[in-house]
Amino acid sequence: MKTKGIPKYIVYLLLVICASIPLFFTIPVPGKPFDSSADTFKTLMALQPGDTVLLASDWTGSTRGESKAQMISVMRLLMRKQVKFALWSTADPQSPRCAQDTISEVNEMIKKEGGKPYVRWDDWVQCGFYPSSDVAINNVATDVRKAFGGKRDTDTAGKLRPVFESPVLEKIQKIEDFKLVIDMTASKTSDYHVQFISGKKVPLLFSVTGVMVPETNVYYNSGQIVGYLGGLKGVFDMEKMMEYGLNVPDKDGKIQVASEKVPDKIEGFPGKDNIGNGTKYYPTLHSALLLMIVLVVIGNVEMFKANKAAKKS
Amino acid sequence: MQHVKPGWWSIDSPGLGQQYWDTGWFALFFTFIFMAFIVVNIKRAQGSKELFIRRIPGLNAIDEAVGRATEMGKPILMVPGLSDPVNAIAVQAINICAYVTKTAAKFSNPILMCAYSASMYTLAQEVIRDVYQQEGVPERFDPDSVRFISDRQFAFAAGVSGIIHREQTAAAFFLGEFYAESLIFAETANSIGAIQVASSTEATQTPFFIAACDYVLIGDEFYAASAYLTREPVLVGSLIGQDWSKVFAITCILCGAVSQSMFSCSHARGVEAAVQASSGNADAKKKNLADLKESETHSFVFSKLFKTNDPPEDLKIDRQPNAAAAPAAATNAPGGSN
Amino acid sequence: MVFLLSKAPTQARKPIVWILTFVSGGVFVLFKYWPQPINFDKAKNLPNGPIESVGSLLNDLTSVFGTISQVLTAFMLGLGIFSILRIHGTRIAKQQKDWFFSVVLLVTMFSMVVFGYWDFHIRAANRTIDYDNAANWGFVNMGRDFLFEGLLQQMDAAMFSIIAFFILSAAYRAFRARSVEATIMLGTALLVIISLMGAVASGWDSAVDRIATGSNHDLLVNLKISEIANWITKTLQTPAITGIKFGIGLGTLSMALRIWLGLERGGK
Repeated sequence: MKTKGIPKYIVYLLLVICASIPLFFTIPVPGKPFDSSADTFKTLMALQPGDTVLLASDWTGSTRGESKAQMISVMRLLMRKQVKFALWSTADPQSPRCAQDTISEVNEMIKKEGGKPYVRWDDWVQCGFYPSSDVAINNVATDVRKAFGGKRDTDTAGKLRPVFESPVLEKIQKIEDFKLVIDMTASKTSDYHVQFISGKKVPLLFSVTGVMVPETNVYYNSGQIVGYLGGLKGVFDMEKMMEYGLNVPDKDGKIQVASEKVPDKIEGFPGKDNIGNGTKYYPTLHSALLLMIVLVVIGNVEMFKANKAAKKS
Repeated sequence: MQHVKPGWWSIDSPGLGQQYWDTGWFALFFTFIFMAFIVVNIKRAQGSKELFIRRIPGLNAIDEAVGRATEMGKPILMVPGLSDPVNAIAVQAINICAYVTKTAAKFSNPILMCAYSASMYTLAQEVIRDVYQQEGVPERFDPDSVRFISDRQFAFAAGVSGIIHREQTAAAFFLGEFYAESLIFAETANSIGAIQVASSTEATQTPFFIAACDYVLIGDEFYAASAYLTREPVLVGSLIGQDWSKVFAITCILCGAVSQSMFSCSHARGVEAAVQASSGNADAKKKNLADLKESETHSFVFSKLFKTNDPPEDLKIDRQPNAAAAPAAATNAPGGSN
Repeated sequence: MVFLLSKAPTQARKPIVWILTFVSGGVFVLFKYWPQPINFDKAKNLPNGPIESVGSLLNDLTSVFGTISQVLTAFMLGLGIFSILRIHGTRIAKQQKDWFFSVVLLVTMFSMVVFGYWDFHIRAANRTIDYDNAANWGFVNMGRDFLFEGLLQQMDAAMFSIIAFFILSAAYRAFRARSVEATIMLGTALLVIISLMGAVASGWDSAVDRIATGSNHDLLVNLKISEIANWITKTLQTPAITGIKFGIGLGTLSMALRIWLGLERGGK
């Protein structure tokens, strides 16, 4: 059970302590948004009421710490801006259920703050789950009417009707008719979106888990996607930008959230409930990373000591 | 308004084809060149020409791992990734697993193969059975040695980790598409002291394998593996074709860098000349810069070959109306499940 | 097709499979290269000339082949379930080691299937009822919720969170400055980790801002942790990942080409 120096169970116990304790306190943490988060915010805020977005939800309960928090922040923004969306999934059969539960949750939040709740069929439609991500995404990129053509959803009267009869999709003829394509993913579907959709004349936006950030950066730097939310930091950035706006000075003239990459002044949603799990979990990420640094340092000191002792003997 | 007859076989025609606007015609040409390199080299290799492949240390470890498992009398675990359904990556992973099985069959070593998808399970079972038959020991093949665990990622991770602990596997091979579960497998196998050889086609998971495994095949070494192990002309040839493709890509990158640098220099000089020529007059400066921009749209830059374009906004393609197809169009398509 | 294949003589199966592979793969390759009609809506217009007709046909065919692939994938699940039943059924029947876990597995599998479909059937039959509201749930809906939300989702999340422990123990064990390369790697990794810690990064950047004054300003601002991390990710990490991905892409293309042309002999 020993990892040369500190026993494994001690390492694990330290992690439990470091990850749990910050959850019981509200710790304000400063932080500059990543360029990719600022671009995401700019793209989402540029949407107009009545625009339609194609939203792929490809995450499940396993990554909900990051993915659900990301979806909640994006959903809040879309619902406040009255942007319609078509939901679909290809990564996992659990994904549609997870997304629907999150939409219900955000709907309750919107109701509480006095906003108009989203109605299935009128404001969003469920286009279902499709196995074989690559084939399904290729089909949608090639001919979205054909790909979703056989799909039906329940209208407001409880009747099953083709999704293209809904107010959400009635004007959609091809993928380019969506104002934005979003993939909220914890899997390889982001690669397939780049492969099949980035060549189309429709902006592409991702929200990915922390571990996928380096890979997603490749697509962001090459301009194949307009932005992305990466892991918990992405949610934290998003919540802060929704709360304080981007490059918006406060009463004292101080800019709370600034970005050099996106110099535009973009107002957020001050006075509304913008803070969620991103802000809540961010201190936990700090303490866990700090623990990792400390352990790496201890490990190296142990190694140097051991080497020195070996040389002496 | 441009009225065009679609489908002209001319590079400049706006009616050439939607995909040529989406990806740029050079991107398709680029892929075609790669395919040609691979096919040509397969033919070269089949022509009995001895082609060189460098040594890959991770692959030498295969025999070492199998040998160790034989000494310990414990099974060898193989996980050919989380491809669903079977794709090129899965086929390659199963190819390497087949080589491991072949070595294990020689020493009567038990194997365990965990399949993530049902299609992978079917393919793996056929291939492994074939390997035992080819080695002349079909009776040693245990149908339960190839198992479908689950097609849910973390249920699969839990199942495989359980097998590693229960069976106390002496060697573990993780080859193919791996995601978040990579570290769960690698650390679990590490905790029981199993020798591990791993490779993930997912670049984000490779660091996890490097941290926890004994040998890791990085990037396209995964594809080079079967060529290195079997020395089959088809595999060796396609590997050489891949190398030619890389050289071609590097040449394109260098051409792009040189061309872009030259363009930037000429642009800077052009701006300077335009500003000087305007003699402080703002309108003249604006006009000169606009003229420069216009002239630059016609100048050749290598990177323009890869850039996508929109069809001209005023493009109008003349077509006959199709009244008959309209009613059926909305309902004749494949659909998804709820 | 599958039935016909099973009736074909063994020696004829391989050529049949290859022909099917070649034709279906060929459709996708042709689809990529054959000019696709621009702004073409089949419901409103007729294809203009043979080139557009073929382009439109290829467009239709890719959807057909894609759908066949999706249907086959879905049906394959039956084989997987058969494997599970055989292995765990045998274990229970012979009361082999840990047979009780096999019972748990089979019971949970059948429970999930039964409650999942039953719940689906109830929801489909009562579309006017808002099942997002838990007040409208019956026993079956609650059962499905317990199995899906209460068990499966939580266990998935638990398995995923185990990675955090493993990352820590692997980092502690493997992140050692054993050589020059490993030391460089360790240093860059620590810088990137620090840049993810907003509080530390803010303090570092503010300190650099305070120091960076006068003529040295432009040079010193490069020492901000956000700048350093940005440089590492953009200049080192992105090209490295691009290179690895390019190599993998070429390998996949080569393998796909061999399968398509019938040159891959699969495990031999």
